[in-house]
Amino acid sequence: MTAVSAPIPARKRRWLPGRDARTAYVYLLPAFLVMGLITFYPLIYQVYMSFTDFQLRNLRIGSEAPPFVGFDNYIRILGNNLSIPNFHFVRMLFFNIWWAFSNVVIHVVLGVLIAVMLNTPGLKFKRIYRAVYILPVVIPPIIVATVWRNMFDADNGAINNLLQIVGGLFAIPAEVFRINWLREVQDPIPFVPLPLAYFALLTANTWLGWPLNSVVATGALQSIPGELYEAAEMDGASAWQRFRNVTIPFLRPAMLPYAIYGFVITFNLFHLSYFMTAGQPFGRTELLVTQAFRLVNEQRQYGVAAAFAVFMFFILLGITIVTNKLARATARYDA
Amino acid sequence: MKRHLRLAALVAGAAILLAACNTGTATTAPESTAPESMAPESMAPESQAPAALSGQLTLWHSYSSGAGTELDALNEVLEAVRAENPDLTVDVLEVPFNDLFNKYNTDAATGAGPDLFIAPNDSLGFQAREGLILDLDAMLADKLGDITETAVNGSKVDGKLYMVPESLKAVGMFYNADTVTTPPATTDELLAAVEAGDIKAGFFGGNNGLYHNFGWWAAFGGSLMDDTGTCVADQGGVPDAYAYLAELQEAGAQFFPNYDDMANGFKDGSLDLIVDGPWATGGYKETVANLGVAPIPAGPSGPAQPLSGVDGWYINPSTADPQLAVDFALRMTNQEAQQVFVDKAGHIPANANITISDPITQGFADAVATGFPRPQVAELDNFWGNFGNAQQQVLETGADATEAIATACSEMNTANGK
Repeated sequence: MTAVSAPIPARKRRWLPGRDARTAYVYLLPAFLVMGLITFYPLIYQVYMSFTDFQLRNLRIGSEAPPFVGFDNYIRILGNNLSIPNFHFVRMLFFNIWWAFSNVVIHVVLGVLIAVMLNTPGLKFKRIYRAVYILPVVIPPIIVATVWRNMFDADNGAINNLLQIVGGLFAIPAEVFRINWLREVQDPIPFVPLPLAYFALLTANTWLGWPLNSVVATGALQSIPGELYEAAEMDGASAWQRFRNVTIPFLRPAMLPYAIYGFVITFNLFHLSYFMTAGQPFGRTELLVTQAFRLVNEQRQYGVAAAFAVFMFFILLGITIVTNKLARATARYDA
Repeated sequence: MKRHLRLAALVAGAAILLAACNTGTATTAPESTAPESMAPESMAPESQAPAALSGQLTLWHSYSSGAGTELDALNEVLEAVRAENPDLTVDVLEVPFNDLFNKYNTDAATGAGPDLFIAPNDSLGFQAREGLILDLDAMLADKLGDITETAVNGSKVDGKLYMVPESLKAVGMFYNADTVTTPPATTDELLAAVEAGDIKAGFFGGNNGLYHNFGWWAAFGGSLMDDTGTCVADQGGVPDAYAYLAELQEAGAQFFPNYDDMANGFKDGSLDLIVDGPWATGGYKETVANLGVAPIPAGPSGPAQPLSGVDGWYINPSTADPQLAVDFALRMTNQEAQQVFVDKAGHIPANANITISDPITQGFADAVATGFPRPQVAELDNFWGNFGNAQQQVLETGADATEAIATACSEMNTANGK
């Protein structure tokens, strides 16, 4: 009796589910099955597709398997050998990273500054301001993109019209302000290889992006104990010193994860690039996600698109690992 | 009592469900669905009274993408067809033209999609090669006797019919006859009039307006491919055509990257002359009181040759009843139906027996007659992107036309393995 009930080593016991654990696994099973079917299976299938010459004819269930092409799709992407005009993978990748980075920096800085201003004691109508500045977030993305595209129209857009009115006050001819915001080929700033369309996109996305940053910052600001400011003031700290040594350290735990989230969201922000500029001029505002869509929807190169998506997965994984490390390194404010 | 009610509701629901599932097949006469009825000998000749159509069909169209008059014509013909065939149910879905082929191709590739749809032969070759549309060669034998040779040829890929032809199309030069009394007949006349400020001309440019500008190529002696499908656009003519368009732009003509901007400019009177197709006639007639159409001006090498195409009904290979779909398409394209589209929507009829009374429609019929039939070879798939990009470079960056066309041609040939 005693011989068969020898104690199981603690290390081994961890892997044998107890009664409670077994119940938990049973409850989790449906979720695992659904996840496996709608998430993991497509992901694995996509990796398989990326090694094949998957075409339209292979979509039908029961159709013949697409030919295996090894790493050919990956090599074609890296070698810009896709017969798509203006396709340049590395240029697109760097633009995409810069696009996400520049947006997040502006959104966070603007969001925090406005939140600090709105947090001023005694400011009237705070609730109205907060309700108004959150409006851009609730407008459907395609409408945002369409409205901004129309506003940036060279001939009839509101931006050029406004500039023409203001310019008229200074006797500047209206022709000067027929700016082709979304298709101008000449870069507006010498030695900065970014087209004017990038700045138009940046403007639209800044309008769209700062409010939520401000909401997060407002929440964090309201959690800072007022005594800390009083103590700092008694120690003779200036307004800047109070902001730098009290406000920022308390904002950081809330803002940093949100900034990382914002980076990933902006990195994959489809609607502005696709509907506002359509990647113009000459593919210079194309993002990886819009290019992936074009590969499927316009080029019907399913195998290449799958390889493209695998690249995107690893790029975002790398960015997430780096940003997570940064987040851990800077998360502590009590150090 | 409650239980009885539930049971009754359940039985009623099941009955409705069964009836709904049954509708598509039961109302179709077995004779018309049987494979043997597809054989040409079992088909009634066109001259005999056609049998009533029965069954259910789903069709797609993009007729609101134009001026809207095509939709009116479609509804009128559909109403007549429904009245003639009370056992026929037709579900109509409009799909924006820009999405039409992608949506259909993806759906059809997975065995879904409508029973049939109407569209130009823009990607007929691709769809036929991919097996996305039904080979109609046997089913249309002896059925297209009244259809012009141009329309029949435009419905074929590798000698086989894949479409029931409805109308023809090619772009021409719309002008406002109030401001342009004599439309320019040559490229030199057009350039001089634009330079002098007598004509405010606008064209569809950018990377998407390639189809609209294809006609200029022949006027300067250019052509796209040789018999082997190798791009030869870099061997003279095409760069001259683009150099001319750049000169025209320099002189004051506008090239719009967005089609709507050009169309709206013509409608609101800020443009006197544009190049566009017959699908837009209805919209222009509403706003331009004295509308005229002329061929695209001839160049130093001869007349312009716009790309001519054929609109027709495509049948989905996955349709439950191919014979019904073909019979319906033939009814939608018979002489009576085509007359409605000609009169209401300015279509250029595929049927040779229809006389055109409207001078605008006749103008486009002339453009079609001199047009260059759209090739259906696989090599054309790599034409649009590369040459659209070249056109945009010339018109928007001032790039050298010879260099831009040479690059586009070389990339097209590389992609085609030439």
